[in-house]
Amino acid sequence: MNPRNDGPPIVLAAGLRTPWARAGGAFQREDAGHLGARIARELLARTGLDPKYLNEVIAGCVGPPHDEANVARVMAIRAGVPDHVPARTVARNCASGIEAVTSAVASIQAGQGDLYLAIGVEVMSQYPLIYGPKMTQLFARLMSARSLGQRLGALASFRPSFLKPRVSLMEGLMDPTCGLLMGQTAEVIARDFSVTREEADQYATESHQRARRARDAGRFAREILPIHPLGRDGAALEHDDSIRDNQSVGALAKMRPYFEKPDGVVTVGNACGITDGASALIVTTQDRAEALGLKPLARIRSFAWAGLDPRRMGLGPVYATAKALDAAGCTLADIGAIELNEAFAVQVIACKRAFESRSFAQRELGRDQAVGELDLAKTNKNGGAIALGHPVGATGTRLLLTAAHELEVGDHELTLATLCIGGGQGGAVVLERMAR
Amino acid sequence: MDTVSLPMPANAPAPGTCVRVERPEPALAIVVFDPPHRSFPVFDAPLVRDLRTVVDTLRADKSLRGIVFTGRKPDQFLAGADIEGIGSITDPEVFRRACHELHDLFNTIAGLEARTVAAVGGPVPGGALELSLACDRIVATDDRSTRIGLPETQLGIIPGWGGSHRLPLRIGVPAALDAILTGRLFDARKAQKLGIIDRVTKPEYLVRIASDIAMGRMPCPRKTRGLKSVFVDRNPLALALIGRKARKGVDAKTRGKYPAPYEAIQLVLGAPSARHSTWATSEADAVAKLGVTPECKALVSIFFGNEKAKALGKGPDGERPAAVEHAAVVGAGTMGAGIASVLAQKGVRVRLADLSSEALGKALAGHRKDLSVKKSRRRIQAYEFDAAIDRLDAVPGTIGMGLCDFAIEAVAEVLEVKRKVLGALAQDMADDAILATNTSSLSVDAIAQDLPHPERVIGMHFFNPVPKMPLVEIIRGHATSDAVVTRTAALALRLGKTPVICRDVPGFLVNRLLGPYLDEAVRLFVGGVEPLRLDRVMLDFGMPMGPLALLDEVGIDIAGHAATSLHEGYGERMTPSDGLQRFLDDKRLGKKSGLGFYQHKGGKPELATDLDSFQRPSGVSSLGDDELVDRMVLAMFNEACRALGEGVVENPEALDLATVFGMGFAPFHGGLLRYGERRGLSTIVERLQALAKAPDVQGRNPGRFDPAPNLTQAAAGSGSFRSK
Repeated sequence: MNPRNDGPPIVLAAGLRTPWARAGGAFQREDAGHLGARIARELLARTGLDPKYLNEVIAGCVGPPHDEANVARVMAIRAGVPDHVPARTVARNCASGIEAVTSAVASIQAGQGDLYLAIGVEVMSQYPLIYGPKMTQLFARLMSARSLGQRLGALASFRPSFLKPRVSLMEGLMDPTCGLLMGQTAEVIARDFSVTREEADQYATESHQRARRARDAGRFAREILPIHPLGRDGAALEHDDSIRDNQSVGALAKMRPYFEKPDGVVTVGNACGITDGASALIVTTQDRAEALGLKPLARIRSFAWAGLDPRRMGLGPVYATAKALDAAGCTLADIGAIELNEAFAVQVIACKRAFESRSFAQRELGRDQAVGELDLAKTNKNGGAIALGHPVGATGTRLLLTAAHELEVGDHELTLATLCIGGGQGGAVVLERMAR
Repeated sequence: MDTVSLPMPANAPAPGTCVRVERPEPALAIVVFDPPHRSFPVFDAPLVRDLRTVVDTLRADKSLRGIVFTGRKPDQFLAGADIEGIGSITDPEVFRRACHELHDLFNTIAGLEARTVAAVGGPVPGGALELSLACDRIVATDDRSTRIGLPETQLGIIPGWGGSHRLPLRIGVPAALDAILTGRLFDARKAQKLGIIDRVTKPEYLVRIASDIAMGRMPCPRKTRGLKSVFVDRNPLALALIGRKARKGVDAKTRGKYPAPYEAIQLVLGAPSARHSTWATSEADAVAKLGVTPECKALVSIFFGNEKAKALGKGPDGERPAAVEHAAVVGAGTMGAGIASVLAQKGVRVRLADLSSEALGKALAGHRKDLSVKKSRRRIQAYEFDAAIDRLDAVPGTIGMGLCDFAIEAVAEVLEVKRKVLGALAQDMADDAILATNTSSLSVDAIAQDLPHPERVIGMHFFNPVPKMPLVEIIRGHATSDAVVTRTAALALRLGKTPVICRDVPGFLVNRLLGPYLDEAVRLFVGGVEPLRLDRVMLDFGMPMGPLALLDEVGIDIAGHAATSLHEGYGERMTPSDGLQRFLDDKRLGKKSGLGFYQHKGGKPELATDLDSFQRPSGVSSLGDDELVDRMVLAMFNEACRALGEGVVENPEALDLATVFGMGFAPFHGGLLRYGERRGLSTIVERLQALAKAPDVQGRNPGRFDPAPNLTQAAAGSGSFRSK
């Protein structure tokens, strides 16, 4: 029933990530080209994989630095990947990291190659402020001014308001097709599914507690490389630094709604943070992995992309998961552990209700029955983006890495990584344990 | 003048073969330096002879409008004067005649009616630039290999073929003075900015552009100094000031030990007002005077020692070993961090491993700071900065080293620890990957024992601070293969270091020699000699710092550790003084602890105030300065003779080179052995015998001052350790 099972089994052979760092913090002087290259170099070194064998380097990045066009190529060269190996940067907003992996899978299925390095990277600290169109026009007039008079004329048109910067980060978080900020789309589905502020704060608190427990138990150590950030001397950043050890519902309750005042339910506390990070995975066939002496983490059983109403982009996981499960030939109940990206607490809860709603399935998915029960006990067991952060281009690779490790940790047959995507999309990947 | 005054080499080719003239168009001549007997053309007698003939012919040809002088390739022009010649000439008249001859030749070129253009690239030092300066215009390639300047003062002479006059006239006195005193070789961009050259182009276009300029088809305006030439170069007051400042600078840098810079200052200051007819005489007089000084000969011998060291990086047939691409450095202390940073800056990808995240952080911070300084000084461009940052990775523990082709450990000086580290690396890495140890006191053979493939184990002893110290001792163990020695030496050279190959003996070479030197200094100090006086006499001798200041710099504990291992290795003649035990007990370790012989509180170190409490006067304070110097230097000299006799290094040149680059032994002496040879080996034997009998020497360190057998032998024989 799954056409993808016809080809050679495709695996995630190894993976590694940096700690996730709050934007404006540890990685504020990094840039995507350096941070992504660092994690790629380390992954190649630790696997002993000679990069000359790579067919391509594929990187996902939502906001590549303006001075690092095709940031995948920049990272590849800086990672010591030889010149002959090509590189491309792919984008699917918040799913750009997963897009890098699924692009590799598609290339392998198309017979283009069998060994890919997939990178997800985002340094949101470095999103620039930009001049508005009036200031840009003024510069243009100045550049083309031939005489002193023209130059003075251009200068005279200047108004202090021209200097008001456009914040590319905020503008990037706005969907231009529906005029809503991402947080506002979360408010829409909170209303659709009657998610309350209390439920959201409760969920957010749990995310921090789960992340803290995972960190303290050393469960992240297997996937994190400590980083000595550029521009910061001294000790390394060893852990995700936005986990709040003492987060409480009481403290969260005091926060004011950020996107819809005064009655909204989304606050800064129950949403994911603005974050920097990078993550890399080796995508190859099972045969090739064995030939290279690698012990793969997981087999990619299926993946799917889906589109939906941009104003309700947070429900993307429901649409994509339904398709991916069908392609994998299994049900939600068969999945042992789920990584469902926590863009917003209300969004996860709304997804749960949509997963379990028969009418939603009939209306939106064209199915008779609800997709299935989303058991929060097995969802985001190590906390999610609300605690760890959400470096948009890198999150996808992190979800896959964690979901792959969960196969081993929880002794599961199948795990799932899924996320919502600004602009109204969802992505989902079903992973399968390697045969023992 | 048709007789050539320079000595004619034995392999001199037939007349007319060294300089070729091409006539691509009727009014254009291209003069190509292409001597068949030289892999890199130099101004030797055959070339001068042929150039003379060519220039005379061209002068007579009235149809010519343009003449281009160029090399056989865009990156091979001329390498200046034949330095071997400078080293061998002992008669000042030969220097004088050669200078006059070249002045005459270059004046002829400068007087040619056709427009002359020097089209240069690659190294353009000394005489090569002086020829170019005699042309109407200079065009250079923008290739990285292009290095242009007048380095003569670094060899103890001055630019004697017109450079001391033509350069100041072209670029002004202050810039010329700086260029000549530092001897710096500039890249093309900088040379153009200074006005030394007039035009920069790509190597592929060099001859075409030069031809177009020579034929007047392409404008090539010369940068003029404008009013500056009046207000600075022709202003006696300004010149006096510039001269005074320059002399003061030279005094501070060299303590007046080198005569050449002073001669250069005088010539350059006088250049703007000198009559053209006096140029040759004044330069020739200076060269004749300087060329025969022992300082010049010593500097030339170091130059050749260094050239010889460069050959160590190639196989017996000149083949180059595979370049190291990916290095593992284990231990992120001062040494490991320094080695890793230098490797990364020279294009090697590095994984620097340490268990301490803090040490790694410090190492990376140092690396980044070093690069930032270089970027802000425009020594490197932004992309090179980024690449060098990305070439150094900090790794928590020795993981992921499998793809590295070279490893060096700089962990604690404990045999078991080093063996464990290298053993772990050996398991991960390929069988032919080099495993190097940066040990200073352990035996390479002991470390190599039981490691798989011991032929790839080698010692690579860097000196602290790694980025600055130019010497690397390469220690060959019993099993180490020739190929591994060559590849390691090639790596040292790539890092900009001078390699010296040593046998695996305690202390190797430099530390072994420093042992008795520093120990004598400590004993003199304990015996009551004023500490400042001790340091001063050695500064006056020509060392870059006094022995007590050096102990502070190295660290009293490190020096003590080295002394102990020398004692274990060589017995009683190396028994260290116990005079510094209290320093160690008090953790008074020198610069790193803030207090040693000096107080280090930022700024200039000041002498510690309580030093007399360490002294037990034994009468040595009444010894004269010369006597103090002899005790320290001859103790070291005698040990050097022993080391040479044991074959610790291959030849006396290597030993001299190691002392100059490893301990800063005064370059004007030409190295430790050369110093002794010049002073007279029999004098030294006598002095050693006398020292051995000194009352406070008797009863300690038996053998230290007993002349080494090969010393007595050489003293009785040729008076030199070198076979002629």
